[in-house]
Amino acid sequence: MANFDLPISDRVQDLRDKRKRINKDLRLNVERNRILTEYYKTHEGQYPILKRAGYLYDWCATREINVDDDDIFLGDAGPHTRTVHFDIEQTGAMWFRSNFGDTDERFRAAWQVPGSVWVSDEEREYLLKAADFWEDNDIGATARGLFPDEFFAGPMGAFAKFLNGSYPGHFTPNYEKVVLTGFGAVRDEAKAKLAEIKAHTTTDNVRQDLFYRAMVKTCDAIILMSRRYAEGCREKAKTATAERAAELLKMADSCDWILENPARNFWEGCQAILFYQNLLTAEGVHWADSPALIDSYLGGLVENDIATGAITREEAQDYADAFILQIGNQIIMFPKPNNDQLIAAHNEGKTLYDLQGGGQNVAAGSLITLGGQKSDGTGDYNLATELFLLSYYRLRVAEPSLALRVNKHTPDRIWELGIACSKRSGGLPQFNNDDVIIQQLLDKGVPIEDARRYGIFGCVEPAVGGKEWSMASNCGAFGGGTGMLQTLQTVIHGNRDPMSGMERPGDAKKLYEYETFEEIQAEFVRLAKAGLDNMARMNHFAAFVFETAWPAPSVSTMTEGCMESGKDVTWGGAKYNGTGTMTNAIATVTDSLYVIKKLCFEDKSVTTRELYDAIAANWEGHELLRLKILNEVPFYGNDNDAPDALATWVTDFWLSYANSLPGPNHGHVNMGILDLAWVAGGKRTWATPDGRKTGETLSPSADPRPDAVKNGPLSYVKSVAKLPWDKATCGGAINLRFDANSVRGEEATAKVRELIQSFFTMGGIQFHFTVADTEVMRAAQKSPQDYQDLIVRIAGFSAYFTHLPFDDQENYIARYEIMV
Amino acid sequence: MDYKNVTGHIYDIQGYAVHDGPGIRTTVYTKGCPLSCLWCHSPESQKHEFELGYLQVKCLGADICRNACVDACPTGALTRGEPVKALDGSGMIQKAQIDRAKCTRCLKCAGACIPKALYATGWDTTVDEVYDRVIKDRGFFQNGGGITISGGEAMAQFDFTLNLAKRLKDSGIHICLDTTGFAPEKLFAEILPYIDLFLYDIKHMDTVMHKNLVGVGNELILDNARFLSSHGGALQIRVPVIPKLTNRETNLRQTAEFCASLGDGVKLVQLLPYHKTGRMKYERLGWRYKLTNVEPPDDAFMERTLEMFQSFGLNCQLY
Repeated sequence: MANFDLPISDRVQDLRDKRKRINKDLRLNVERNRILTEYYKTHEGQYPILKRAGYLYDWCATREINVDDDDIFLGDAGPHTRTVHFDIEQTGAMWFRSNFGDTDERFRAAWQVPGSVWVSDEEREYLLKAADFWEDNDIGATARGLFPDEFFAGPMGAFAKFLNGSYPGHFTPNYEKVVLTGFGAVRDEAKAKLAEIKAHTTTDNVRQDLFYRAMVKTCDAIILMSRRYAEGCREKAKTATAERAAELLKMADSCDWILENPARNFWEGCQAILFYQNLLTAEGVHWADSPALIDSYLGGLVENDIATGAITREEAQDYADAFILQIGNQIIMFPKPNNDQLIAAHNEGKTLYDLQGGGQNVAAGSLITLGGQKSDGTGDYNLATELFLLSYYRLRVAEPSLALRVNKHTPDRIWELGIACSKRSGGLPQFNNDDVIIQQLLDKGVPIEDARRYGIFGCVEPAVGGKEWSMASNCGAFGGGTGMLQTLQTVIHGNRDPMSGMERPGDAKKLYEYETFEEIQAEFVRLAKAGLDNMARMNHFAAFVFETAWPAPSVSTMTEGCMESGKDVTWGGAKYNGTGTMTNAIATVTDSLYVIKKLCFEDKSVTTRELYDAIAANWEGHELLRLKILNEVPFYGNDNDAPDALATWVTDFWLSYANSLPGPNHGHVNMGILDLAWVAGGKRTWATPDGRKTGETLSPSADPRPDAVKNGPLSYVKSVAKLPWDKATCGGAINLRFDANSVRGEEATAKVRELIQSFFTMGGIQFHFTVADTEVMRAAQKSPQDYQDLIVRIAGFSAYFTHLPFDDQENYIARYEIMV
Repeated sequence: MDYKNVTGHIYDIQGYAVHDGPGIRTTVYTKGCPLSCLWCHSPESQKHEFELGYLQVKCLGADICRNACVDACPTGALTRGEPVKALDGSGMIQKAQIDRAKCTRCLKCAGACIPKALYATGWDTTVDEVYDRVIKDRGFFQNGGGITISGGEAMAQFDFTLNLAKRLKDSGIHICLDTTGFAPEKLFAEILPYIDLFLYDIKHMDTVMHKNLVGVGNELILDNARFLSSHGGALQIRVPVIPKLTNRETNLRQTAEFCASLGDGVKLVQLLPYHKTGRMKYERLGWRYKLTNVEPPDDAFMERTLEMFQSFGLNCQLY
């Protein structure tokens, strides 16, 4: 196998060290929220999209421009490198009051000790006051102003009231156009459209007029920001060494050019993406803004640079490394911790940054997709594909997430490098099956040339790059997450939730009232449909919240269809539209249904009443039955057709029905299979018929429960492959863990590749794997300082093992381990 | 042919057996071996009879399963042990305790044990049953993979092994036979047409040492290697490198010479450095692990040995 262990340059090493240093000295992005608040306060009557664009312009025009001594690339969404971003307009006043309005002593222990994310006294005071303003003006206020009462009464009530966390993001705008065309052309186009409207203004095109004015303003904004960075470089050059000054002046020339005009070289292409990424983050209100297929359009630039001798291959690698570090510098505070959590973390020597890494990809949920196909169906791999993969291999960073598209054109070297990289940095890249994912898009009516240009964003979600407002943002929110599990619980317990004791309205039987398993299945379907219908209804309302008052002009500038139609993405302007949701805990649901089917209706060894009583008692006094279930009932994950057929049935029904519902903006509903929190979700879930006790973890995403895998890895993979992945239009993966011995030897890479390809041939769409021995993880728990680079694949993201909460670490160690 | 009546003793079927030949493989492990290598990493494979294995950590205490194993034992070999803390912190439990001297290996307790802490180290099966199980993995064999029949010593259950190989061959599956080579030549002659690749161990070139280390001399093994390679058999030779036991320069050099003398039949030689992964298994069987004083060989030594083998023109790799 090729040797990928090329040394990292001193300069990149310095950047990496700087990042580690800064992680102990982070600051909250108050600047962005201050500029936003002041703009909104002084422009209350302005039309929402003009207000949004106006704020963006002010942000670009007045934000602090920092050029650090050693930077290869420029820019951040805040005034400092790695400023911790949050959106005040969807935070909710309560969070500020409970945390910043806390006693001085507790506030300081949470936000003003070494290692904390720093908030000064002045910032604290400002944000508390700002929270008062936002209470009646934020996204939650818009939601409260238009949601029907039923939304607030249901189990999602608290959530519906504030709409925190239901960002309409998870998409991939047209970064290619940012790099190869620039905003100058977009601005010209908008101006031309405005002139047309001016000549023929009617009530019908007034809103288009507003839209194009917002486009002009947004283009002006980002071009101005780039020029201000040019100024910053020139200023910095005055006091720099001669060598650095020359570099800074070159950077300044580039910053004067890019964003308005097409990038002329690799550095400019990378920098244009970074500035646009900063703008997207600063606009906020959407997230997981994911640069897809960057190698596709940066490849020509870097290959040309090297061919003309402008840079060496080593310098190109430095740029790729620095780009990955820079784009990983965006940090978003989600979920938002409270003072108790922060103080506890600080007492353990951890930071807010550490806390973020346990629940998601900390780089604002952003994901880079590499490889794939050109629109004519030929392979799309080039030097840039290799450079960026090498960067992940060398740098051992967990963010942003990384996806590699594979197909029959994928070169052997890219396969080798991808696998070598994922072996080192668990799950980075994740592998994506072009054959099935492209077919999914075709099935939705996307023409082949667009389908071939899909990208992955957020965790695992596919969409057409640059042309789709995909909003796969409802993971874990409205009706996603544990919906399937809740349906199961209702089938068992009727309308009384055993966890909270709350009664829900409507009729529902209890487990012991059913006569046949078919009756149970029919009721499962009835309840599920009602739940999914309700989810779809709520999603339309949620989309309307954003359409009404929270448009996304920074996205619309670079999403195909918007400029043509004169509509913002939130108004349905994109060429393709969708909304995505996830289901989870496939094995917990399947195994539970199978236990009921087999024991109560086939073997008749246990009555439904006995099983119900055992579950209701959380198995207390029924341990023997629980043990028999765990050890004698064959579960999903063993290539056993009986339980696997139920897994396929429940998943197929769930995906098909959800996908058949109408999505916002006349788009599709996309259902996938993914969970980010089966440990936390398990804590909220009562005992289940599969022998799981109350509070124990759920099965992770589409994977079997680890202790139920009894026939080895191939049977595991085959069971998972049986699920109807062609219908998982919001994505979903198998997530395997190997011990080091299973992937040793010269042929190991080829064998892992065969396993991936076998899974894909069987219909799987995404494959994630980690190599981590239990012994290594135990050592990392004891001496975390020595294992800062240990990265494991959790679900749709990879995490630094040492950042995971203890329970998640233990859960990861308990994952099924392939040991050969 | 009806394979329902051809029975075998096996102790495991393992998927993704990536160390047992080319590609992704599923390996059938037969039970019983005429050799008893000191470094054997699968001691449960050595005896033909099934034994009682005990994975103590899985025992949840005799109260929960209402003395199932203790009551099942006809000889009193199983008793309730001293109270110990339960792993889940639920209190004190009394785990099963085996008096191996009294155990007749009737395995009734393994049948009664619900959490499968007590288990039989194998089961009786038929060619049909094994075929039906392993053929399910066929989707993974696209790129050179297939089935490996391993042991113990699969040739010791010749009827079963031959018929399984035939059955698989009929389905176009690539078959490896992992063998010690310790079986009559006429049996190898009979099975040769059905085996795509022999995974063949050469453990020591000195027959006296060989007998000391594994219990039998090496003559038959070396003769069979010559027979197979001269009759169209493909061999992947595996050489265990065990510090203090097989790692002497002369032995390794003679091994390389021997491999080279076999000619084109030898497709690959793999040098297998000693590792300790089998150690825990001895404990579960209540056996003593004999190589307590041996450490894995160092990388530099393995590299030198690799170069030496390659100097004989052999396609050789460290494994």
